[in-house]
Amino acid sequence: MAAMSLLLRAAAAWGARRAASGAAGGLRFPWLAGAARLPGTVAPVRHSSGHGKRMFIIKATSFYDTRFLNLLRFYIFLTGIPVALFITYVNIFIGESELAEIPEGYIPDYWEYYKHPISRWIARYFLDPPEKNYEKQMALLDIEAKKTEMRLMELEARRLMRHRGDGPWYHYETPDKNLIDNSMKSTPDN
Amino acid sequence: MPEDSDWEAYKVPPTRTPVSERTTWVPNPVTFFQTVFNYVVDAPVTFVREWIERQQSKNKFYYYHQKFRRVPDLSECLEGDYLCFFEAEAQWRRDRMVDQEIVEIVRERLGACKQREGPNQFQNCAKEVELLAQVTKAYQDRYGDLGVHGNARTCLMKQKHRMMEERKAQANASQ
Repeated sequence: MAAMSLLLRAAAAWGARRAASGAAGGLRFPWLAGAARLPGTVAPVRHSSGHGKRMFIIKATSFYDTRFLNLLRFYIFLTGIPVALFITYVNIFIGESELAEIPEGYIPDYWEYYKHPISRWIARYFLDPPEKNYEKQMALLDIEAKKTEMRLMELEARRLMRHRGDGPWYHYETPDKNLIDNSMKSTPDN
Repeated sequence: MPEDSDWEAYKVPPTRTPVSERTTWVPNPVTFFQTVFNYVVDAPVTFVREWIERQQSKNKFYYYHQKFRRVPDLSECLEGDYLCFFEAEAQWRRDRMVDQEIVEIVRERLGACKQREGPNQFQNCAKEVELLAQVTKAYQDRYGDLGVHGNARTCLMKQKHRMMEERKAQANASQ
């Protein structure tokens, strides 16, 4: 530390001598006289031992970045830590289920086909049994199949009634034959 | 992926390390490291694991593999019976998944055999190689080039074409 301060003082003295000699020629070339020098080594300042001169380092602000990262960590951990603790509790004290053969005459409920207790709980209280889903799909298919069949039969009936003319459809209203005025055909000379 | 439940296929033959008698009074350093590992790592971990298992054994519960009933196949469905088509299609997809898992298990057994035998694999794993070849050929024959839109109907058509080819080959062979 003492050597460091001696070195700094020597550097400062050398720099001062250079600045003094260059002051005469520095009027024409001001940028050549004082070459690149650290802001703390030219002027001999009495430094507090060990820490060096306090600098005002100019750099871009990190206020917004640190604020963002702090908020991100806060909001992630706000729910993340309780969820992690809950899942750890479930895994340690309740544990996953074991695989077993289906006993004779026993039909397991649909949530008993899952291994992890949380999956079982979700399947039991929130999801529908897959049999219900299957039956719903089959019901939709059945409705659509019956609609298709009805439409095809209707088209066939229309075609036949139009062709044969003996059904209740394709009757067109014609005017009454008593309204026809036959006076222009009543005498042979018209 | 479900694990293979047949551990017999993976059994490793017992090691034949010879028991050597001691020729120096210098103790074996390996035993020292073994005891250190035992006290520092093995014992605490085993203790924690057994404590956890004691907590978990207080309320045991089980899960099962679902068994699906067999429904009439696509070849037994009447034409226009869309419900029958739907159920046959679902059953076909389940069967295809099962077949994929079977192929996967046979592949894993071959890999385990190779790992176990090391340089002897070409002689000693011949049975597993043969089994994998047969299983893969069967899978390719049945589900092979159906593509991503393959369903029960295309598979049935492929089976029909296979039977026709077989019949033609038989007719040609008997000529």
